Amino acid sequence: MMNWMNIELILLILMPILTAVMLCFSSESNHKINITITLTSISLELYFITALLVSNFAAVKNASFFLQYTIGRAESPFVINFALDNLSLFFSLIVTAAVFLIVIFSVKYVEDRANQFFALFFLVLAAIQGSILTADLFTLYLFIEAITIFTTPLIAFKKNETTTRAALQYLFYGLIGGVFFFISIILIYFELGTLRMAEVAAAFVNIEPGMQLTIIIFFLLALLIKLGIFPIHFWLPRAHSACPAPISALLSGVLLKVYLYIFMRIFWTVISFTILSRFQLHHFILELALFSSLVGHLFALQSDNLKKMLAYSSIGHIGMILAVLLLNTKAAFYGAILHIIAHLLMKSALFLSTGYLLQTTLSYQISDLKGVGHKNRSVFVAFIIVCLATIGMPPLFGFVSKWYVLLAFLESQHYFGAFVVGAGSLIALIYYLRYISQAYLTFKGSETVSIWQENLSFKEFFSSFNAMKAVIYLFTFLIIFFGFSFKFFSMPIDTAIFELLNPQKYIDLVLGG
Amino acid sequence: MTGLLKKILIIVVLLFTTLALYLNFILMPEYQGLKTGVSNYIIQSALRDTGSLNLITAVLYDYRAFDSLGESTVIFGAVSGIVLILSRKMLPVSSKGLSFIVKRTLGIITPFIGLFGLYVISHGHLSPGGGFQGGVILAAISIIFSIVYGSAFDYRRYSPQKKTILETGGALTFLTIGLAGLFFEGAFLHNLNFLTAEPGTLLSAGSIPYINIGVGFKVGAGLAIIFYSMIQKTFEEDY
Amino acid sequence: MFNNLIFIILFMLGLYTLIMKKNLIKMVIGLNLMEAAVFLWVIAFSDTGGRISIHKLAETNFNFNDPVPQALTLTGIVIGASTAALLLTLIIELNKFTGTIDRDQIEGLND
Repeated sequence: MMNWMNIELILLILMPILTAVMLCFSSESNHKINITITLTSISLELYFITALLVSNFAAVKNASFFLQYTIGRAESPFVINFALDNLSLFFSLIVTAAVFLIVIFSVKYVEDRANQFFALFFLVLAAIQGSILTADLFTLYLFIEAITIFTTPLIAFKKNETTTRAALQYLFYGLIGGVFFFISIILIYFELGTLRMAEVAAAFVNIEPGMQLTIIIFFLLALLIKLGIFPIHFWLPRAHSACPAPISALLSGVLLKVYLYIFMRIFWTVISFTILSRFQLHHFILELALFSSLVGHLFALQSDNLKKMLAYSSIGHIGMILAVLLLNTKAAFYGAILHIIAHLLMKSALFLSTGYLLQTTLSYQISDLKGVGHKNRSVFVAFIIVCLATIGMPPLFGFVSKWYVLLAFLESQHYFGAFVVGAGSLIALIYYLRYISQAYLTFKGSETVSIWQENLSFKEFFSSFNAMKAVIYLFTFLIIFFGFSFKFFSMPIDTAIFELLNPQKYIDLVLGG
Repeated sequence: MTGLLKKILIIVVLLFTTLALYLNFILMPEYQGLKTGVSNYIIQSALRDTGSLNLITAVLYDYRAFDSLGESTVIFGAVSGIVLILSRKMLPVSSKGLSFIVKRTLGIITPFIGLFGLYVISHGHLSPGGGFQGGVILAAISIIFSIVYGSAFDYRRYSPQKKTILETGGALTFLTIGLAGLFFEGAFLHNLNFLTAEPGTLLSAGSIPYINIGVGFKVGAGLAIIFYSMIQKTFEEDY
Repeated sequence: MFNNLIFIILFMLGLYTLIMKKNLIKMVIGLNLMEAAVFLWVIAFSDTGGRISIHKLAETNFNFNDPVPQALTLTGIVIGASTAALLLTLIIELNKFTGTIDRDQIEGLND
């Protein structure tokens, strides 16, 4: 009678919500209990998703993995269900792992109002998991709105004019995107009378072309606003640079990938890519995304604020990933998903180390960076390594993923794309070096200690060890490690690509089981 | 001049978009939902399935109960976000309130407003209404107290701590009923069939009335907290 | 057809308010107008001439309007209300720092 099958899918969403309620309820003074709740919950979350992977490893390997949980009356045709296939398992896993590390970092980083911070953080996590797992369009809309609403107070967490302004702008743009999303979902309901993704996917061809175009355009508007593609990208650098470092890492590293996942889910599973290409829209978006990538890198070049520079660079990378996805070849998906992992690791590491290095400086302006490289040498070395990976230096992870993206562009004979990848790397080299050299400028009269002298004394290295540093080193290690052993990802990426290219499997399994 | 030009340009663009959208929406067939979709199923069998006379409530708290859970989570998050942004460190500086006549009149009316709110909440499955609608009416009591009697009165009567407890309690009620559905009926947020009585009575429709009560108190307390956080700042500045 | 026209006009009025007005509160009103236009349209469009979707006891008349769009709209309204509250909160906070709610006078909001 009791259906305990696949209960993990629900727990992945309920755990963070319950944690948030508990954190809101507990007072701020018992800091230790709050931290314990936080760490236990995030560890359990990681455990659930890893357990799902390990226990179904054989199924994952031959791309037949599929789990489904139906909420409420399973016998009625109109229910919400959650589905986990290879693609969503992969995204859920990398997102949970990244959030796990970010939480460990922020336990030390956020001191005051920690329980409110973590309550909202866990609500964001719940909304992210929900939007990855859901197989229902309206629930997807709900979770996308929830992500926008929950992240806004976190952006305004520092409470000054800049952050409030950035949060206001972020909320306005996010809500406009949400309205567009709602319209297209309602249009789908009016046309097809259902909201389940699989049923919509099976019947979307039957809608007449004009209406299909309207639905697609509203979806595109919503998602392009959320992704920060060129004409509507003003909000992104402000929002991503105003918030505390862990939230920057969450927004830039994790959330943009979630929106990319939603983009894939909608335009490959729900609305099949052939319909998108029938209207020739994919060419237009491809060029737009490439242009956005170039614009992002150029704006990063002229920016004088370290965090703003990183956010603009995010626009550049996301534009590139979106463009390469829209090539719709196997090589393109491989490059795109590999770069999604790489960018997730690199941007999280960059924002976290920026937050750690610049704890004591007045602002993130380039002029305030003077001498930062001498204060925390080992962290700064890690920062430089991640920077080099972002630029695309071999043998780091960033190089491998960019190489595959480049190969995908060349294979499809899309030379403007290949040019943008190369030019982006060159521009990135200039702007990152600018900041690194600035950080190594010394104040007049400060004593000069050789970097080797300090770095090689392990005693000093371990005496100043803490969780924040550990997270940054771990990210750096992962970036170096996967640079050599990126083949590690080839199995999960291949199965995820299989999922993208065969939406029929998803439809059959949801409707049949 | 450039302002005017920009204005004209935007108006022209919007007019063209209007025209394009209108021409596109003409293509839409007459409403098909009842014939092709699953809503016909709901109309035919919702009363038998859930025992709720109000089909919208049946959709909200039975078939798509998870949406309602997400929705109350959204309110919960919005309230904690607003509290985070407008932190409440200081006691509110109260206004004096309105005149004697207003105070007396509302003193008589307020209990009936509360009664009406409770009625809307508890009869959500029988008549128009439900947790969200009734919760808003309950929040109005707190707002009336703040405006008519001054916010200090509202603070003493229903302190923010009490409201927070009510809000969290409402959220936990919803979650608990969802988990009870898992234990007794085999699926998360499944309606509790053993609670079903004859349709049309107050305690029928399984767990729907209880979810309604939880959501009602949660929404009422949440909106009252939002209002309280907002006015508190303005009074502090006035002083 | 009339429903569609009203919806599009209201929606565009909201968008116009959002783009052109300088007052932040008016921008919030514009956004809410857009949302309200969508909700109104959903309800009006799904009206097939039936009764409201509530059974009367001892009556087996099944000529109802579709209850699903109404339920979805209810969810949408609640989300709209909480976002409006959050927007107004941020405007109050911004007013505390800058002393104005004019978009032109707050540097960096004007694009």
